[in-house]
Amino acid sequence: MAYKDPDEMLFGHAKFPVQEHWGVQFGAGYVVPEVKVAPEAGTERNKETLVREMASIAEQAALRAVDIGLPAFMVEQEHVFQQTYHPDWGYECTLAQAEILKKYYDEYGVGAVLRQTVGDLRIEEKGGLRGSEYDNAIAQTVEECCKAGASDICAETMGGKSVLDYGVMRGDIKAILFGIGYLGSIDMEYFWKRTVAACAKYDTRPGGDTNCSGANTCMYVAGGLLGKDMAHTAAALARAISAARSLVAVECGATGPLKDCGYENTIIKAITGVPICQEGKNAVCAHSDIMGNLTCQVVDCWSNESVFHREEMGGPTPAVWLQATGYEAALMNTSIQTGNAKTLRDLYTFTDMYRDPQGTLLAYPNAYRVGKAIVEYGKDIYLRARAAALEASKIMMEAYDAKLLQLTRFELDTLRKYTSILESLPMEAEIFLDQCMREYPRKIPTFDPKSYGL
Amino acid sequence: MSLMDWAKKADFDMIFKRYNVIIEGPAIKPEDDPDVKKVLPKDEPFKSLAMAVIFGDAEKAVQAAKSALDSGTPPLDVIEKGLSKGMDAVSALYAKAAYFLPDIMLSADAMTAAMALAEQKLGRAREKKGTVVSFVAEGDPHDIGKNLVVMFLKANGFEAVDLGRDVPDKEVIEAVKKYKPVMLTGTALMTTTMTAFPRVAKALQEQGVSVPVFGCGGGAVKRDFVESYDMGVYGVKAFHAPKLAEAALAGKSWKDIRKEYPKIVGEFVSEYADRM
Repeated sequence: MAYKDPDEMLFGHAKFPVQEHWGVQFGAGYVVPEVKVAPEAGTERNKETLVREMASIAEQAALRAVDIGLPAFMVEQEHVFQQTYHPDWGYECTLAQAEILKKYYDEYGVGAVLRQTVGDLRIEEKGGLRGSEYDNAIAQTVEECCKAGASDICAETMGGKSVLDYGVMRGDIKAILFGIGYLGSIDMEYFWKRTVAACAKYDTRPGGDTNCSGANTCMYVAGGLLGKDMAHTAAALARAISAARSLVAVECGATGPLKDCGYENTIIKAITGVPICQEGKNAVCAHSDIMGNLTCQVVDCWSNESVFHREEMGGPTPAVWLQATGYEAALMNTSIQTGNAKTLRDLYTFTDMYRDPQGTLLAYPNAYRVGKAIVEYGKDIYLRARAAALEASKIMMEAYDAKLLQLTRFELDTLRKYTSILESLPMEAEIFLDQCMREYPRKIPTFDPKSYGL
Repeated sequence: MSLMDWAKKADFDMIFKRYNVIIEGPAIKPEDDPDVKKVLPKDEPFKSLAMAVIFGDAEKAVQAAKSALDSGTPPLDVIEKGLSKGMDAVSALYAKAAYFLPDIMLSADAMTAAMALAEQKLGRAREKKGTVVSFVAEGDPHDIGKNLVVMFLKANGFEAVDLGRDVPDKEVIEAVKKYKPVMLTGTALMTTTMTAFPRVAKALQEQGVSVPVFGCGGGAVKRDFVESYDMGVYGVKAFHAPKLAEAALAGKSWKDIRKEYPKIVGEFVSEYADRM
């Protein structure tokens, strides 16, 4: 564990800060705001229109940053299909944004870093995850983005998703564990060894990877309090499992700041000490979660997740949403400067700690416990994912028994049932793999074991 | 003061309320639910068939079907008067959040297993209510929404032709020509992949092909976008899909369905609040 005690964890502070372009540091004693905007539908029709769109997003954000006095900020661009599929599009879009951000740095001294998140285009049933046309395009686009001036590279890889989706729909926790924890971890190693090596050739940091396709799918399917498609306790177990999987990027050399939608990042920060991006209350433009304040607790780069590129009453969305994340980061930075940071951290945490089991799990003292459960099993990708889920279960049951966390029958029954299944799973990865390989290739036609070297 | 000290002192009701816990009624057996009682057959062997589906017990459903068929119950009755009634009950329980997605999946599995026996006896597949073609937009690998749509359609007696994910426009158009579906569904997570929908709608029109409803939904998809092209109906929840297909079967056009969406799906839908 990077921290001896969870109380050492704080927003704006990481054990291992990361420096990117223009001297901007993450985790070095201040929080950096981030903005991310999805290009307007239709601008992907050709390279020129998309490049213009990207430039406009970056410039609108930079202008507002200067207008309201932000010391530093990050623009993240999540690629649309064409931007990753055509490496030359990826290059030119990145270059257009990097040049604009540099112009603002040169003129005003504002630290403006550029994250490029490549799209994971790979599909198991269409050529597989390794060496397919899509896979090769991703590898080439990563290089092109580095070359064009990206400050860091991130991804949201999809390894294990076919099995995970099956697990979500069938209420099969073993499939969720196998999909995210086992297959996801194998694919992460494949993807991130390559990505880290590519970034090392340039002045570009390998940021990290989120289990958006897995744990966020669960969070999204679970929905709000009236959701009826997945128990929130099950979504919390998937989140704990995802920490063991997303950790692999850091083990392969990713430095952070880890990607914003990885709600598992608090757990990974506890283990590794790398800085993290997060999203919550200022990401309501993109989706709803049930822990809008809590995710500020140990963040180093605060994001809006995503928003359509359009006009709001307060201006274009890159400006408006950077302003929203910028002011939240300013509050956190003010608390650091005035000696009130730990109080603010705990207020953020407490607001959502018992609103939902997912918040209970991710509250930093509990996230720390899950981290400890993971490290106990070292590099065994199966046992550490299983241990994370079991510790998460324990945390939720303790909070429930203490009458702090309220659960519906569905949430409680699901938690008890899944816990019992997890406990009954073998203690050897080989046996678990054997069991899963007898079951899931038969049941899930889109699952391609070869994509994982199996 | 630590977080735990705050937990001892705070009045949580002033911070949040877990309405799902607050509104939860007492645990009752599914068969005692008033909406289930309305659809549950009273006579055997239909009651046992329906109950096996309600409990998602494939083994019992198969046993009940076998015994009903052996004792001379017509296979179509096994399906229509027994298994389908069980599925209707499951839908009612899901609608009121007494059942959840995994319950529906298990029930659908039980129904499928038992129905296979009945269809074998019948010598053909049961006549479906209609055909629906489903796809995920080109360039988009996110397919859980589409999978849910397909599952809900099948569970409600539709033939669901699943074209998969990252489907090129021309494949969608060919499938529409081939299957002549009562509804086409398209899903997309991203703003830039959802642009496949107007392209497909336009190409269908240009080729003189039409579908009664082109239901579109998914992560970034919004109603104003879907209503910007002909045939498009914004689908809010996956479980609305069978109701939209049934409305199309009943002769409603995409224009009617847009206007009457909340009435058709039978619940308040925020996204259609102006059309309640």
